[in-house]
Amino acid sequence: MTDRLERMLNLVATLLDTRRPLTLEELAERLEPAYPVEKAARRRSFERDKETLRDLGVPISVEPVDELGGEAGYRIHPEDYYLPDLGLGDDERAALHVAVTAVRLEGGAAQAGLRKLGGIEGAAAPPVAQLEVTPSLADCFDAVAKRRTLEFEYRGEARALEPYGVVHRFGRWYVVGRDQARDAGRSFRVDRIEGVPKAGPVRAFEPPPDVDPAAFLRADPLSYGDEAPIDAFVLVDATRAAWVVDDLGADAVVERRDNGAVVVRLRVVNQDAFRTWVLGLLEYAEVLAPTELRADIMVWLQALSGGRT
Amino acid sequence: MSPRPAAGARLQRMLALVPWILANPGSTIPEIAERFEIEERELERDLELLPMCGLPPYTADRLIDVWVGDDGAVSIRLAEYFERPLRLTPAEGLALLAAGRALLAVPGSDPAGPLAAALGKLERALGATGGVAVHVGRADHLGVLRGATDAGDQVELDYYSFARDEMTTRVVDPERVFNAAGAWYLAGYCYRAEADRVFRVDRVRSVRLTGSPVAAHPSRAGVEGEGDLVYRAGPDDLRVRLLLGPEAVWVADSLPVESRKERARGQVEVVLAVSGDAFLERLLLGLGPSARVLDPPEASALVVAAAQRVLARYPAS
Repeated sequence: MTDRLERMLNLVATLLDTRRPLTLEELAERLEPAYPVEKAARRRSFERDKETLRDLGVPISVEPVDELGGEAGYRIHPEDYYLPDLGLGDDERAALHVAVTAVRLEGGAAQAGLRKLGGIEGAAAPPVAQLEVTPSLADCFDAVAKRRTLEFEYRGEARALEPYGVVHRFGRWYVVGRDQARDAGRSFRVDRIEGVPKAGPVRAFEPPPDVDPAAFLRADPLSYGDEAPIDAFVLVDATRAAWVVDDLGADAVVERRDNGAVVVRLRVVNQDAFRTWVLGLLEYAEVLAPTELRADIMVWLQALSGGRT
Repeated sequence: MSPRPAAGARLQRMLALVPWILANPGSTIPEIAERFEIEERELERDLELLPMCGLPPYTADRLIDVWVGDDGAVSIRLAEYFERPLRLTPAEGLALLAAGRALLAVPGSDPAGPLAAALGKLERALGATGGVAVHVGRADHLGVLRGATDAGDQVELDYYSFARDEMTTRVVDPERVFNAAGAWYLAGYCYRAEADRVFRVDRVRSVRLTGSPVAAHPSRAGVEGEGDLVYRAGPDDLRVRLLLGPEAVWVADSLPVESRKERARGQVEVVLAVSGDAFLERLLLGLGPSARVLDPPEASALVVAAAQRVLARYPAS
C-alpha cells in the first residue's frame, strides 16, 4: 500500500510538472515504484490510480499527444489543480472551524475542505445542528457554481434546469432555478431526483443579477405548486391562532376576532397541500372561502366519515 | 478489502499537509498534528514517506527534502509542485458553505463577523455567491432556552404536544439545544415524564426559570446523536396496520414503520406505531382515500369520528 501511495504522489508530481501530455508508456518508464511490465496489468494499475486520484478531485486531463489526434496522453494543468489563495485570516479560519464542528454533516467533506484551507484554527464548538447530505447534492452545487444546466427525471418527467442555488429548508435540500421548458422559477427536492442528474457544459447560462435562491423557498411549503393561484380564507380558533400566525407570518392575518380567533389568507397553488394543512388543524379551523375549496374539504371529509354528516 | 479508501484518504491528507508546511516552515510535529487532526505517529510516517517521492529520475536534487530538527521543527524543500493545495471538490465546497450558512442562520450569530467574511471569500472563489442557503427554522423561545442550557438553569415549559394535541406544563432540566431537519429541539430531563425527553422548541408556548439549578441525572441514557431526533415507539403505543395506495407510499418511506409489505397495484401494507390519537387523525385525514386502516377497528373509528368532528364545522346550508 505504501508503494502505491508513493507512486500516486510521484504521478501527481510528474503530471503537474510536465508541459505536454505523457502517454502511459512514458509514465511507466518514469514512475517509481514501477507499474507492472505486462501491458494489460499495467493499464489496470494505472486506471486504478487514476480513478483514486479523480475521486479525490485531482483533475487529470486526457489529451492526444500530437495534433493528428493520435495516442492519448495525460497531464494536470496547474491552473485546474491549484487552489487559489482565498486570503483567509486566522479569525476567519477559526470561524470556519467553529462552523464545521457546530454543524454536523455526514461524511468528512467539510473537514477535508478545512484541511485544504490550512487545517484547523482555534477551538472546536459543541454541536448545535445537523444537516443531512443527499446524494446528488454535490452535483447540483457543482452545476450552480459552474453554470451548468442540469437534466434529470423528476416524478417521471424529464426536466432541464438552470440551477441558481441549493437551499436547505424543513430538513430537505432543494435545487432552485429556471425550468427551461416552463420558462419559470422552480424548486426541486434533491432527494426526489431520479438517478444522477446530467450536467451540461460549463458557463451555459447566466443567472439574473441579484438572484436570491433562498427567495424561491421563502414561502411556506404550501406555495410549491403549479396550479393557478387562488386566495383561500381560513378561520382558525383561538387555541391554534398563535401557531398559525407564527407559521404563516403576521401578514397573512386579515381579521382578528374578539374571541381570539383569526382569519388568515393563503395563496393556494397546490390544493392537496392546502387540504393537508387545513386538516392538520383538525376541528380548530374552517375554510371560509372560496366555495370550491370549502366544498373540496367537505367532500373529502364526507368520504372519510362513511357518508354520514 | 480494497486498499483504495485508505490510500486515498492518506494521499488526500498529504496533498493538504505538504503545502501548509511549505508555507509555514519551522512548525513543529505536535503543532502540525493538531492542526490536521492526526496522531503525531501518523504525521511522522507521512514525513518519512515524502523523501522517497519527487520527480524522475529520483536523484537527490529531484526528491523531496524533509528536515526535522531536534526541537521537532519541520521543513520541506524541493516540492514546489505541491506548493498549493488541491482545489476544493464540489462536495467539500458545499459542506463548508452549508455548515457556515447554517451556523450563520442561528439566532445570535454575527451577520458581519469573521464567519460571514470567510463564507463570502469561499463563495467568490467557488463562483457560487449566494448559491447555498440554509434555513434553520424559527423558534420564539430559542434564546431563553439556549441561555438556560448554558447556565444550567432549570425551566418550566408550557408545551404543546402535537401528537396528542394537548397543552402540558413541564419542569425540565435542559441538557442540550440543537437543530435537526430544519427544526429546533431541546433535550433534557422531564420531571413530568420522569425520563429524558426531546421537545420541539417551536411548540414551547412559554418558558419560566424555576430559580433552581439543574439536578444531576447520572443514570440518563444520554441525549446525544440522531437517534433522539425521531420518535421512538414505546411498547404501549398503538400499532396500526395500514394499506397505502401509490399516492400514500411516501408514508412508508418517511415515517418509522415497523413492517412493510408490497401489495398488488403498487400498494404497500405497513404497521405504524402511533404515539397519540391526534397524530393518527391528522395523518389519515390528510391521506384520505389513498390510505385505509386494516386494523385495529378502534383506529378506523377514531378517524371516522375525527372526520365527523371537522365536518361539523361545515353545516350543509
